[in-house]
Amino acid sequence: MKKYYLLIVVTFLLFSFFAFAVIGNSQTDEFAFYAYNSSPVTDWDPSVEFSNGIVSLNNVYETLLRYDPLEDKFVKLLATDYATSSDGLTWTFTLRKGVKFHDGTNFNADAVKFSVERTINMNKGASFIWAPVDKVNVIDDYTVEFKLKYPAPLDLICSSGYAAFIMSPATVKSHPDSWLTEGHEAGTGPYLLESYQQERGEVELTWFKDYWGGWEGNHFKKAVIKDVSEAVTRHLLIEKGEADITIELPYEDIASLQDNKNVNVLIGPSFQNLILFFNTEKEPLNNKLLRQALSYAFPYEDVVSYCLEGYGRQGRGPVPYGLWGHSEELFQYKYDLNKAKELLEKAGYAKGDLKLLLTYMSGDEAERKTVELFKAKLAELNIDLEIRGMPWESQWALARDNNSDKRQDIFIMYWWPDVCDPHCWLYSNFYSEEEPFFNLCYYKNQKFDSLVDKGFKESGIDRNKATETYIDAQNILVEDAPVVFIYDKKNIYSLNKTFQGFKDNPAYANVVFFYDTYREK
Amino acid sequence: MSKKSNYYNILIKRRLETLKEYLYLLKQNKLTFAALIIILFLIIIAIIAPIIVPFPSHIYGAVNPQDKLLSPSWTYLFGTDEMGRDLFSRVLYGTRISLLGSLIAVAMGLLIGVPLGLMAGFYGGFIDEFVMRIVDMFLSFPPLLLAMAIAAFLGPSLQNAIIALIVSWWPWYTRLIRGQVVSIKEREFVRAAHAIGTPSWQIMYKHILPNCISPVIVQASMDLGGIILTLAALSFLGLGAQAPIPEWGLIVNTSRTYFLKAWWYGIFPGMAIFIAVLCFNLLGDGLREVLDPKTKKY
Amino acid sequence: MLSFITRRLLLGILTIFGVILITFILVRVIPSDPAAQWVGGRATPKQVEAAREELGLDKPIYVQFEHYIKDLLKGNLGYSLMTHQPVYEELKKRFPATLELVFISCIIALLIGIPLGLISAKDKNSWIDHFSRFFSIGAISIPTFWLALVLQLIFFMILGLLPSGGQLSMKIKLFQNVPHITGFIFLDSLITGNFAILKDFLKHLILPAICVGAYTIGLVARMTRSALLEILSEDYIKAARSYGLPERLILYSYALKNSLGPTTTAVTLAMGYALMNTFLVESVFSWPGIGKYIADAVVCLDYPVIMGVTIFAACAYILLNLIADIIISLDPRVKL
Repeated sequence: MKKYYLLIVVTFLLFSFFAFAVIGNSQTDEFAFYAYNSSPVTDWDPSVEFSNGIVSLNNVYETLLRYDPLEDKFVKLLATDYATSSDGLTWTFTLRKGVKFHDGTNFNADAVKFSVERTINMNKGASFIWAPVDKVNVIDDYTVEFKLKYPAPLDLICSSGYAAFIMSPATVKSHPDSWLTEGHEAGTGPYLLESYQQERGEVELTWFKDYWGGWEGNHFKKAVIKDVSEAVTRHLLIEKGEADITIELPYEDIASLQDNKNVNVLIGPSFQNLILFFNTEKEPLNNKLLRQALSYAFPYEDVVSYCLEGYGRQGRGPVPYGLWGHSEELFQYKYDLNKAKELLEKAGYAKGDLKLLLTYMSGDEAERKTVELFKAKLAELNIDLEIRGMPWESQWALARDNNSDKRQDIFIMYWWPDVCDPHCWLYSNFYSEEEPFFNLCYYKNQKFDSLVDKGFKESGIDRNKATETYIDAQNILVEDAPVVFIYDKKNIYSLNKTFQGFKDNPAYANVVFFYDTYREK
Repeated sequence: MSKKSNYYNILIKRRLETLKEYLYLLKQNKLTFAALIIILFLIIIAIIAPIIVPFPSHIYGAVNPQDKLLSPSWTYLFGTDEMGRDLFSRVLYGTRISLLGSLIAVAMGLLIGVPLGLMAGFYGGFIDEFVMRIVDMFLSFPPLLLAMAIAAFLGPSLQNAIIALIVSWWPWYTRLIRGQVVSIKEREFVRAAHAIGTPSWQIMYKHILPNCISPVIVQASMDLGGIILTLAALSFLGLGAQAPIPEWGLIVNTSRTYFLKAWWYGIFPGMAIFIAVLCFNLLGDGLREVLDPKTKKY
Repeated sequence: MLSFITRRLLLGILTIFGVILITFILVRVIPSDPAAQWVGGRATPKQVEAAREELGLDKPIYVQFEHYIKDLLKGNLGYSLMTHQPVYEELKKRFPATLELVFISCIIALLIGIPLGLISAKDKNSWIDHFSRFFSIGAISIPTFWLALVLQLIFFMILGLLPSGGQLSMKIKLFQNVPHITGFIFLDSLITGNFAILKDFLKHLILPAICVGAYTIGLVARMTRSALLEILSEDYIKAARSYGLPERLILYSYALKNSLGPTTTAVTLAMGYALMNTFLVESVFSWPGIGKYIADAVVCLDYPVIMGVTIFAACAYILLNLIADIIISLDPRVKL
């Protein structure tokens, strides 16, 4: 007995430690909990942030206008009205009165001028969206005028989710830039940044008492956005009712969540699409017929059914479904192995016998599954597709290698808008580039370029004309097949059934505007 | 019969007897013996894997998305993964990858570490200081960290992970051997060999090495398990084998996303890792009992 | 003694320099573009160029190295490419969490491991010996990340008894004032007597501690066992037995005390391995320590973070070994 004395004591201590910890109770206080799949902020500086941070910044800062792409109209936030001159070069905004910044100062035209100019001058992040702006003029305290170098859709630009935030000049000027980046804010939005714990990936928001929208009715007064990178954990948090809203759950889980009485599943279009880029400068993919053959060999339906579990649709042209500039009349390739073989023969590769290198972003399940399906289909045509997962930076560096022979044959990536404008795809991904940047099919077509330029200018004056021009440009793309438009992603939000008031806005990817939400038991 | 062949006959007989002795001792410890049997079993599986696997095409490429995430059944003994591939085939084939990878890493580690340790211990002086400082530098990294850093910077792939492990592991052998060599070097028989003018390399390899090899054998056999574990850990972090290679750690990592729908997915490769590592460790432990005179039973 | 410490410290510094050199060379080998990472996903070519200048990447390598060393001496470990925050600050914020986890796990491991090894050595070849040998070897064989997932499956998903991760639950964090005296939640909640927080923290600590501690328990048990076996076969023990001294006295007063050397080595090794295990465990349980920090960094090649953590961890490890060596050298039988 004495021999085991020590062992008994230790076991008892451990047991009581365990028991003490496990037995307990819980309490409820009202706050909204958004279980986000990544870090909720990268850089708190509103002029710089170009990444996930918009989910946090859009609750703390506001823009002049907010765009609702599903109804194609603008919600007036900090601006109550706006007008364009007939040549499209002057835009005048009337600003809202009685708006206060979190530091107590008043919102006025000076603040708008300051914010826009600061963003342009810092030249970081998405500041390039302001490129058409020549001058910002203060007419009076509540009227601001933008003078443009060439016509451009300024209403879309200033409702962008990035780089269009209005900040308090008083606060920003009295601190160095790093103060904002560290985790401070100077906005007008409905929420204050209560605390930011980077090591825990947590952003805590508290209500701003003097918000111009007022707090009558139902609004959450506290909200938390937390980085929960494990998909399984997010799923369980929603199922157990511990989290209110989450995204990016495995598609396979959605069906069971829809059956769950405590969970609401919201499915809607997003403006994110997955595109496969062919290296049109290197053999063998500089051969248009070969590219078209591969476009017919891609298993579009399988990818949507098995990788997305049906939550997506095959891409039709570069502009995603639901955004203006998208056309259902565009030609769409379909999976047809016979047609693919025909074109392969015409291209001179009747026996296949090709080796191609494809890189995708390692860690991205959807991309991996998609390329594995593609690989299997190409194997049937006797084409050996090597699929290589690489970190994004390495993949991108390889595609921009100075030695163009080293670059990969196929590059796959997602694209999503900074401004809700087809120009975003057509320009960034297909406009001729001297040195490759995001035109990773290295496509160089002057006719196409001139159509894109024309369309951009038209969009500042007459949206319909611009749409027509853009559709012409897209037709050229589809014919030349420098890329495969794989799918347009759908946004799937899983919500706790007591979490009400949320409406998805694909123009602000994954942003939850907590002000509109409330709890209903 | 010439004297030389007579001599060799006796030598062989003696070696065989020693081997029989060791095997007998090993058998005494039932646990270790069981481990040895399982390891032999695993090796056999690894060699014949491509033949006995029920769905050979599922190992790497072909996808079968209609059958995705099925639970274990008679057709798919371990169920299927998210691309419809048979997990039993993949885990079985993974034995090959893990065992081979671990063997290469340990062998290369020994090839680099042992000669360096011998030289450092034998020659002493500046060579000793130089080699041991380098060894200290490598050993001052916490175990997994160096491998992580190297694998991260070389680029995630199975080959790079193995290279990273070789670079992280060889210093252990060097230090182990050097310590032994330093104490054996002063022994009588070494001095005698010196006196009669035996060349240094002969002293090192024929006289000193056989006497200090036992701790290295023990360490190496346990490292075979340890490296399988570390390789799996690297793949788990995303630094080792990449899809579609059926490496055990990678399968466990992929299974995390589907844990709710397919709980069995990650269990089997994890068990495989556990069993393999456990057996190697038991073997090493048993060998230590046998080879180390201080803990001998008699 | 002093000369020993000085010599070891100097060697330590030399080693650290070598570590820095190795890590620096590794980093320059990578086929990726730190400047592009700095500006983030969708920058323009001009922005990337500007970032390159800002980060000093356009200068020749030896100049970069010089800058790096100068910065290090000032305590500046660089800026994370992902968060643009100083690595040093981020490490400072995360280190207490890891230290707490490792320390508490090690204590538990020692509390279980040493008695286990003791019993095992005493009753050699009894069923207890076999059981504990199997248990301890099993403990070091089990893949830590797999154990973490299995425990999470059982206790969070199926039983719902324990939380999925983090240090404290959301409600506690939002609605209670978490004290911040020492930076260690365990101590702080004890000091201020806030038992709700303590309970919550323990609840979150159990699973990660088991996972980090498992390997350590096995290690400590085995080392204790082999050390004790070695000592128990010594002559003076035989002599003590033949004098008729009670077994308990022999075991605790003589054998255990004399195993201080190997045991200290065991503890050091244990903490080193525990540190290694935290890299895997912290990711699964979202524990905000340096393990998760570097695990996230290696995936996106945030090289200043990787370098910073590597250097930091290596220094900590060297320090730990130095302390262990000093403790061992207190034993008069050990020759310095």
